[in-house]
Amino acid sequence: MANSGVARRYAQALFSTALSHDVVKSVEDDLNSIVGLLENDPEFREFVIAPYTGRDAKIAILEKLFSDRVTALTMQALRVMLEKRREDEIIGIRNEYVTLRREHEGAVFATITSAYEIDGKQSKELLAKLEKTIGKKIEAEFKLDTTLIGGIRVAYGNYVLDGSVRGTLSSLRDKLRHDLLKQQ
Amino acid sequence: MSNSQKSSGAPPALLFVAGLVLMVGGTYASLNLKIEAIEKLNEQGLPLDLGKTVAVIGVFLILFPAIKSFFLNPLTEAIETRNHQLEDTFSEAENLRAEMHKLRTDYEARLAETEAEARFQIQNQIKEAQNLRQQLMTEAAERADALVRQAQMEIEQEKTQAIATIRTHVVDLTLAAAEKVIGENMDTDKNRRLIAEFMDTVEVAS
Repeated sequence: MANSGVARRYAQALFSTALSHDVVKSVEDDLNSIVGLLENDPEFREFVIAPYTGRDAKIAILEKLFSDRVTALTMQALRVMLEKRREDEIIGIRNEYVTLRREHEGAVFATITSAYEIDGKQSKELLAKLEKTIGKKIEAEFKLDTTLIGGIRVAYGNYVLDGSVRGTLSSLRDKLRHDLLKQQ
Repeated sequence: MSNSQKSSGAPPALLFVAGLVLMVGGTYASLNLKIEAIEKLNEQGLPLDLGKTVAVIGVFLILFPAIKSFFLNPLTEAIETRNHQLEDTFSEAENLRAEMHKLRTDYEARLAETEAEARFQIQNQIKEAQNLRQQLMTEAAERADALVRQAQMEIEQEKTQAIATIRTHVVDLTLAAAEKVIGENMDTDKNRRLIAEFMDTVEVAS
């Protein structure tokens, strides 16, 4: 069972080591690759997570798979996780690692949802504007949602900047209902 | 009264002797003595025999004590007994009448008392019933008023709620129509303009 406290401690140790060796980005890419494989390949996931597979067998297989594809630090961290039977924490450790890296860089993760696809130029302008407005570096994930009708909605942290037609209509609906309730 | 008659009359034996004498003497005189005045009356058509008359008086004197002893005295005693019985009866009747009168008086008094008590209780019951009736009427009126008020309030609430629901539906329909119109008229260029407007106006609350 995943434990966010355990994942946080592993991620902190890994991040501080990566930071001291200046391989933060490489380690993050390695972790993303491993997590992508876990999420997209059920057989690999079953092999890694399965409790009946011996830890030495897991370590041997994973070393064969990743030793020449990931950094030595990532491989060492993966080995420690397997030795400590923390296979099911790998995804959580990756997430905590990314969070620590963003905190370190002063960046925020934002989900930008639009009804139509945004071209590269406008997306760059948008990110620049958002970074200027928020005052932090933005790591954006773009999504399409036709129910927005038009415009965009930016969600980061606990905040939502809604510039969509759907949001405007919802605000208008709420305002009209509020006015109707006040009239009674 | 009987005692005075007994005391005033002569003894029976004396009367018997006197009667015997008169009877014998009268019979003798009727058979043996000729009185001129009486003879003249016979001749004139008035046959009067003085000796027989005296003898009859003697017979009466002899018969009188017997009649008295065997008839008058028992009769007198029977009458007196009857009188006593009547007096006793009257006395008893009087006593009974007095007792009855007393009982009647008591009964009437008790009846009057009972009637008064009954009237008093009836009056109390009537008053109590009237009070209860008044109380029930008051409670019923209050309950009816409360029900009416509650019904009016519920009607008003439902009316308000219905109006609010209708208004909300109108708002929803209007916005749904607006959404549909906007959606049909939306394209990439307009979306681009909307994003540009968003970038121009976006602000973050500090």
